[in-house]
Amino acid sequence: MTSRAERRSGPLAYLILLPALVTMLYPLWLMFRLSVSGGEGGPLAHYAAVWREGLFGRYLVNSAVVALAVVLGNVLFAALAGHALARGRFRGRGLLLGAVLTTLMVPRQMLMIPLYLTVAKLGWVDTYAALIVPFLADGFNVFLMRQAFLGVPVELEDQARVDGAADLRIFYTVSLPLVKPALAVMTINTFLSSWNSFLYPLVLTTSDEMRTLPVGLALISQGEHSVDWGHLMAGSALAALPVIGVFLVFQRQIVRGIMAGAGR
Amino acid sequence: MKARSAFAFLTPFLAVFTLFSLLPLALSILLSFLDWSPLNPEQAGWVGFGHYARALHEPRFWGALRNTFFFVAGTIPLTTTLALGLALLVRLPLKLRTLFRAGFFVPSVVSMVVISLIWKHLYAPFGGMNALLGWLGIPPQRWLLDPELALPAVMAMDVWASVGYYMVLYLAGLETIPAELYEAASLDGAGFWARLRHITWPALKPMTLFILVVNTMRSFQIFVEVFVMTGGGPMHATETVVLYLYDAAFHQFRMGYASAVAYLLFAILAVFSLLELKWLRSEQRTLA
Repeated sequence: MTSRAERRSGPLAYLILLPALVTMLYPLWLMFRLSVSGGEGGPLAHYAAVWREGLFGRYLVNSAVVALAVVLGNVLFAALAGHALARGRFRGRGLLLGAVLTTLMVPRQMLMIPLYLTVAKLGWVDTYAALIVPFLADGFNVFLMRQAFLGVPVELEDQARVDGAADLRIFYTVSLPLVKPALAVMTINTFLSSWNSFLYPLVLTTSDEMRTLPVGLALISQGEHSVDWGHLMAGSALAALPVIGVFLVFQRQIVRGIMAGAGR
Repeated sequence: MKARSAFAFLTPFLAVFTLFSLLPLALSILLSFLDWSPLNPEQAGWVGFGHYARALHEPRFWGALRNTFFFVAGTIPLTTTLALGLALLVRLPLKLRTLFRAGFFVPSVVSMVVISLIWKHLYAPFGGMNALLGWLGIPPQRWLLDPELALPAVMAMDVWASVGYYMVLYLAGLETIPAELYEAASLDGAGFWARLRHITWPALKPMTLFILVVNTMRSFQIFVEVFVMTGGGPMHATETVVLYLYDAAFHQFRMGYASAVAYLLFAILAVFSLLELKWLRSEQRTLA
């Protein structure tokens, strides 16, 4: 429905929205501009230098390996656990769900010190295990998957059971294909938060070789040498481009993920 | 589904969840009552509420708390208002509305480290902010190097970076308001502001509350921005509680003390969330 008043307010809206858009996009544009200018040897000189010198390639690989492992692990663990919480009939189910939801209320930063100590006790500090394993179980993802599986008609699963299929087979061939939208939301959310994660990788790694992109960038910017903004912005662009790409392709899933958080 | 299969399905999640969520949670409470340092792990002494009392007598803790409150009180009303305003505007039937929505939201997906680095450049003596001031005929400022301006400068960036996220939430809230309400109000001759005040705002109350709670939780834990842009300086002017507890835990190795600080912050957060919930309930009662 479009009222006449709404159509009339168009020009006025542009008067506010266009400057707002410029304000929102200028800093990101500045990053790209600084990353391609001022260097000798063409527009990609900073990128080439960043790749050659220092450990940027390594940071990029670390971030990619960690994000990939965390996403795969979350999809597998949360889908299995979510299905059990939606369909399993066992004592303590409500209690378990309550515990999962309660831990969601506790701010992540609160667990920084004890998590570090647990990882240290396992001898994992400065390893991929430290960056991956603690983040394979996310309470919110489990909750999201439980809600999705509750929406799958029970009759479909029961029919398969009558036909003699085992629980794991029913899960894999009947239920899982029906919750693809929720899987997509979870995959994208988990990728974004893993790729951008900062505090935990900062605390859980000690050597330069194990830093992820955000941590590496932050520490370079605080180094003793004077900051080379071209290099820093090229590195920043490398960190920003994948998520901007994911955003442009999967906008709808990202928004749905935000709404899943709001509806809880 | 059989109980045995359910347990098998749950095992991988439960193992990680117990070891890295439940156990640390229990451990951190214990830790806040101990005098313990990883440099000297064999000697742990029970100090009761000693760390808590110590924190409350520490001027640097109070300074960090004051900065954090200033940050929360300064950014949240502004972010919320701007988010609502933008949501109302990008709902209008405009040709470019998809572009506006995407453009306002995009900073929300970019790493806070990257955003902080870009803004550090903007605030540099040679950077874009001083160029802008130059155009307006205002003398250049020292921004992040000025104890008075550093925190507001970080706050301005935070509003910029987070407003799009809350705009998306408000957009979803606006979708749920039935169009008939507006039609009826228009027939009654209600103008833009009257409709905003009597229909839109009351209907958005649950979403506003959700936004306030989420943003309060997030803002009380501000860390990356100050870590990257100022390191808490100049002269602790931008040191937040989480930056302070990070420093205590990982530079001074006072793990027990830092855990106590974390619990003090958690207590404040819990109180604020409860107050916000209560405020919403009373608002709903007056409306009913």
